[in-house]
Amino acid sequence: MVLAGCGGRHNWLAAAGEEARAVETLFWIVLVGAGVIWALVVGLAVYAHRAEAKPHREREARRFILWGGVALPVLVVGGLLIWGLLILRDITADDGALTVRVDGERWWWRVIYDTPEGPVTTANEIRLPLGERALFRLTADDVIHSFWVPALGGKMDMIPGRETTLALTPRRLGNWGGLCAEFCGGAHALMRFDAIVMEPDDFAAWLAQEAQPARVAMDDPGFAIFAEEGCGACHAIRGTEAQGPVGPDLTHLASRDKLGAGIYDMTPENIARWITETDAMKPDIDMPSYPGLRGARLDTLVSFLMSLE
Amino acid sequence: MTEEIDLSKPPPAEPYDRARDEAQRARLMKVWETPTGWRRISAVNNSSVGKWYLLTSFAFFTFAGFLALLIRAQLAVPNNDLLSQSLYNQLFTLHGTAMMFLFAVPIFEAVAILILPEILGARDLPFPRLSAFGYWCFLIGGIFVCGSVFFGVAPDGGWFMYTPLSSDPDYSGLGADIWLLGLSFIEVSSIAAAVELIVGVLKSRPPGMRLNLIPLYCWYVLVVAGMILFAFPPLIAGDLLLEMERAFGWAFFDPDRGGDPLLWQHLFWIFGHPEVYIIFLPSIALIATILPTFAGRPMVGHSWIVLSAVGVAFLSFGLWVHHMFTTGLPEISLSFFSAASEAVAVPTGIQIFCFIATMLVSKLRRSVPMLFAGGALAIFVFGGLTGVMVALVPFDWQAHDSYFVVAHLHYTLIGGMLFPLFAGVHYWYPFVTQKRMSDRLGRWSFWLMFGGFNLAFLPMHWTGVMGMPRRVWTYDVTDGWAVLNMVSTIGAFVFAAGFVVLAVNVLWPRGKAPLVVRNLWNAGTMEWSGEVPDKPWGVRSIPYIHTRYPLWEQKELLGEMDRGEWFLPDAEEGKRELIITDILDARPLYVQRVGGPSYLTLGSAFCLGAVFILATFHLWALTLLFGAGFIGFTLWWLWTGTSEIPEKPEKMAGRGLVLPTYAQGNNSPGWWAVFITMTGDMTAFMGLVFSYFFYWTALPDFLPGAAKLPGFGWLLIGLALLLASWLTALAARERLAGGSAGQAMALLVAGVPLGAAGIGAWGWAAWSAGLDPTEASFDATVWVLILWMGLHLLLDAVMRLYVAARIWRKRCTPRYRADSANLTLFTHFLALTAVVIFALLALFPMLMGGA
Amino acid sequence: MAPRRKIVPPGDAPRVIDQGSVWILVAAPSIWAAHFLISYWVAAIWCAKLGRGTSLAEPRWIIAGLGALCIGAIIGLAVLAVRRYGGVFVIFEEITESSERGRDRFVGHVALLLCVLSAAAILFTVIPGMVLGQC
Repeated sequence: MVLAGCGGRHNWLAAAGEEARAVETLFWIVLVGAGVIWALVVGLAVYAHRAEAKPHREREARRFILWGGVALPVLVVGGLLIWGLLILRDITADDGALTVRVDGERWWWRVIYDTPEGPVTTANEIRLPLGERALFRLTADDVIHSFWVPALGGKMDMIPGRETTLALTPRRLGNWGGLCAEFCGGAHALMRFDAIVMEPDDFAAWLAQEAQPARVAMDDPGFAIFAEEGCGACHAIRGTEAQGPVGPDLTHLASRDKLGAGIYDMTPENIARWITETDAMKPDIDMPSYPGLRGARLDTLVSFLMSLE
Repeated sequence: MTEEIDLSKPPPAEPYDRARDEAQRARLMKVWETPTGWRRISAVNNSSVGKWYLLTSFAFFTFAGFLALLIRAQLAVPNNDLLSQSLYNQLFTLHGTAMMFLFAVPIFEAVAILILPEILGARDLPFPRLSAFGYWCFLIGGIFVCGSVFFGVAPDGGWFMYTPLSSDPDYSGLGADIWLLGLSFIEVSSIAAAVELIVGVLKSRPPGMRLNLIPLYCWYVLVVAGMILFAFPPLIAGDLLLEMERAFGWAFFDPDRGGDPLLWQHLFWIFGHPEVYIIFLPSIALIATILPTFAGRPMVGHSWIVLSAVGVAFLSFGLWVHHMFTTGLPEISLSFFSAASEAVAVPTGIQIFCFIATMLVSKLRRSVPMLFAGGALAIFVFGGLTGVMVALVPFDWQAHDSYFVVAHLHYTLIGGMLFPLFAGVHYWYPFVTQKRMSDRLGRWSFWLMFGGFNLAFLPMHWTGVMGMPRRVWTYDVTDGWAVLNMVSTIGAFVFAAGFVVLAVNVLWPRGKAPLVVRNLWNAGTMEWSGEVPDKPWGVRSIPYIHTRYPLWEQKELLGEMDRGEWFLPDAEEGKRELIITDILDARPLYVQRVGGPSYLTLGSAFCLGAVFILATFHLWALTLLFGAGFIGFTLWWLWTGTSEIPEKPEKMAGRGLVLPTYAQGNNSPGWWAVFITMTGDMTAFMGLVFSYFFYWTALPDFLPGAAKLPGFGWLLIGLALLLASWLTALAARERLAGGSAGQAMALLVAGVPLGAAGIGAWGWAAWSAGLDPTEASFDATVWVLILWMGLHLLLDAVMRLYVAARIWRKRCTPRYRADSANLTLFTHFLALTAVVIFALLALFPMLMGGA
Repeated sequence: MAPRRKIVPPGDAPRVIDQGSVWILVAAPSIWAAHFLISYWVAAIWCAKLGRGTSLAEPRWIIAGLGALCIGAIIGLAVLAVRRYGGVFVIFEEITESSERGRDRFVGHVALLLCVLSAAAILFTVIPGMVLGQC
């Protein structure tokens, strides 16, 4: 998999999606146009300020009001409006080869793929097949969030009580950054996700794997600790009795790139810290810290979690 | 008797007499003197209140700017832990809130209160005590809101307080209440100022200043005050709904109970977008006033600027949804707002090209104010162009809530508002202090701020393009935003250094510096007619104006004014007097007496402030106590300071002009104030009506079945009683005019129980239908409409008893009956409110049920 | 002593409304506002009640027809501004005459300009309905 360069994974101009490309063209043209108009207006003002020796005739100056103040803006903004509307018409549609439901939570993402075999639940990571239009159906449970993968296209708010939709068509392989764009309180800054664009075949394989329950032996000592500490009250591991609906689904936790809603690398050290110093890793979240969990017991739990691939 | 004086050919002035001049000056001085020492806080004159307003606004600006520096320091490097997440969220919320509500809007009011009367050649605004009241409300509310950060309970939901983050007590604490109640209180002062300024421009113009001669600044003030009147009330309605949900659990924004979070966004942005123009236009007004001075000629395209101001004012109300482009509304709805957002570029462009045309035809004098004005142009035009970009829906889907928008809004606000304001500070500083600022420091502060600003905010557009969302307290080094943020932080500190230079320049004690010469800049507008050293009376005599730039085009004017040859050169009766003129042609109508220094307004503002603050902490008993105190102080103020029966029915105003000393009905500014205030009140009510129809549109089952509707019969009985109550006020007015004071009193008092019975019937209709405001949005909407009516009836009862008492004490008589006219006007609005509520509660559901 | 002459204050409200002088300034932009709100409302109710993807054929013609009607009304206002107030579409002069006539011409002139602006803004409002075909 080709990883996008570090600096550009949130870039609007990465041209990684059909919708982003449409806006990119618009962006460059209006940017240049704005630069020209700005230079003209400010240049005129500077000229007027310096042209002390020979003030202009009044009729001439007044004509500027008509041309510069009326004709120019009407034509420019009128044309832009129509062009903008045409782009809008083209990039919005209610269908897609793939439907992904994303539910914004404080401060993570519940992701559900609707497949013919039934829904597949995961969290904080969205994988998409290259070149296929995906329709996102967006909801929120608590407060307003906003779903945004800048490299792929525009954003859309997730509003409690409503369902909004957003269509994205990936055009470049890579691991693109996703963000919450609407301030949602507390750890808004740490509400991220990865949007990974894959070859369609790889994607199909990944989705099939993701649909599987976790391979957990019932006598796995790590799972025993998981159960004893009550983790299953909030988290689900499909295929076990842990079916908590509150927090992210952990069935294939270790197959994800990032931990904590797109903010830490998925390493044993980070998972250990996440469990014991949750509040320091991501302040204000609902998950309590387990500072009492240490030594071998913690290691066992962490290696169990790392085995959830 | 009915002959009207031709102001352009008045009888000649009496020959100059030094002794008379000195005696008149001494009397004027005594009447208009500002109290000294501690008693200064009782001052109400526009020059005192305006100065306090200005300094207080800048104090809040400095505070909010300091918060901005903390924000920039936190973002300077990735993964910074200078500020905690919770503190950062409070700081950016408070930064936006304070800049918008405690600086940008109040500074408009401050500048207008300070210079509007002088530009109009008036001695004061028509309601000086109202200005003072507004100021104290602003000060108390501002300290309350800002002070919360020192206790760690500042609002932390962003300055637009989106629900449910701000409505659900699980997600937001005391901070949200402080925001809501503190700002509602400050909105009171904004609306007070708007009323004052509208009446000021319409009715307190100098004789002869017809509509086509009004200075541009005054047009802008009129337009902006009118916008405040239609923009702020929807937010007050929104605040009411939100606070009812927070405090009592009413179901307005909770989707589980039939509420809708988007309603708040509509109400907020119906206020919020016009507000941007409420901030921007007054500053453009400053440039429109300064530019002709340095060009040495009248503004080119005066009428085109008036057109643009009015056009922008209207169009700005069609932009609000462009803040909601990403909320999933149908594309067609978004597109209308996109269209209006693009269209508003046209009148804005006209204004800028009028300025450029004026520059082209003149020899500009260089000066520090013009330097700031030029900087403003360069920055604002750029902000305007990025505004055209984000008004395009697909573009906004990328830019929205990213740093691109942060950069855009700072370009428009700092270029469109702050730089012109600083130009104004340099320009009017000699007008206020009679001293000159240092030009050298002025240039330093300009270049530091201009450079620092662009260094901070130009790269920020790119930070947005790189995908950085706004309102994040930290970011990771791998995000690739570190360098850009560091540059922005450096720029912000340079900008701050520039502001410090400016502050030093303003506050530097110049006790020994020489006074400036009169009309230092050789300006054409009336505020520069003031004598040096300045006098508290504003103008020695109120002149006849027949040009747009009187100091340029009426050569003899200054001498005539100084010699007391024009109107009201004296204060024989020891009263503060103004001339009230008519709206179209500024023909003198009557001599208004205004109140002098008073502690009553201070007491009134203090009690109202206590009401809002105590309500935040749910201390209801104390809230009621101070509420009573507020009513007491306000009534005392009105009783002693308004509609006073004059000692003689008319007086000589000078130059053969004899003017009445009392006015009632639509001749009196008080009537206009009631009219304008109630227009604002109706706008807030329209906010509630909008909410009703919003729910009906957005929610398929908003209207419940017939069994859950309030009973039609009771609603009809209630309406009949309320209208009967209204008729008693009308009848009372007629009986009083007919000479029957006793009957008038009886009718007024009888209206109180009628009104109470009417609202009782409505309450019963809702109660007996089992409507529970905590259950469903329909129930809550019904109850909030009834509550709205009830609160107004409470006010109605107080006013009726007040007017009845005035009649009883012979302060309102068959001949002098302004109070009765004003009350009747108020009740007209009440009757209209009652009819609309009836239509919403009884008729509309019936209509829809039948369909 | 200057001769004593009295004036009878003419009162204000009648002069604002009956002699028709200020309302014309806000009339044209108010028509724009009404058209704008109705267009928004029609489309919002249409799309809310019929769901996404519904064709906008009917609302589109309501909006355009209403726009034509409003522009017609604005043309009427413009005629009034010219005939009754002597409003002129000038840019090369300033109306500074200190007389009722001057005031009238100024009001007529600004009203005329606002008519043009409002008509243009209504055209802008009609554009989206023409470009977008469905909710």
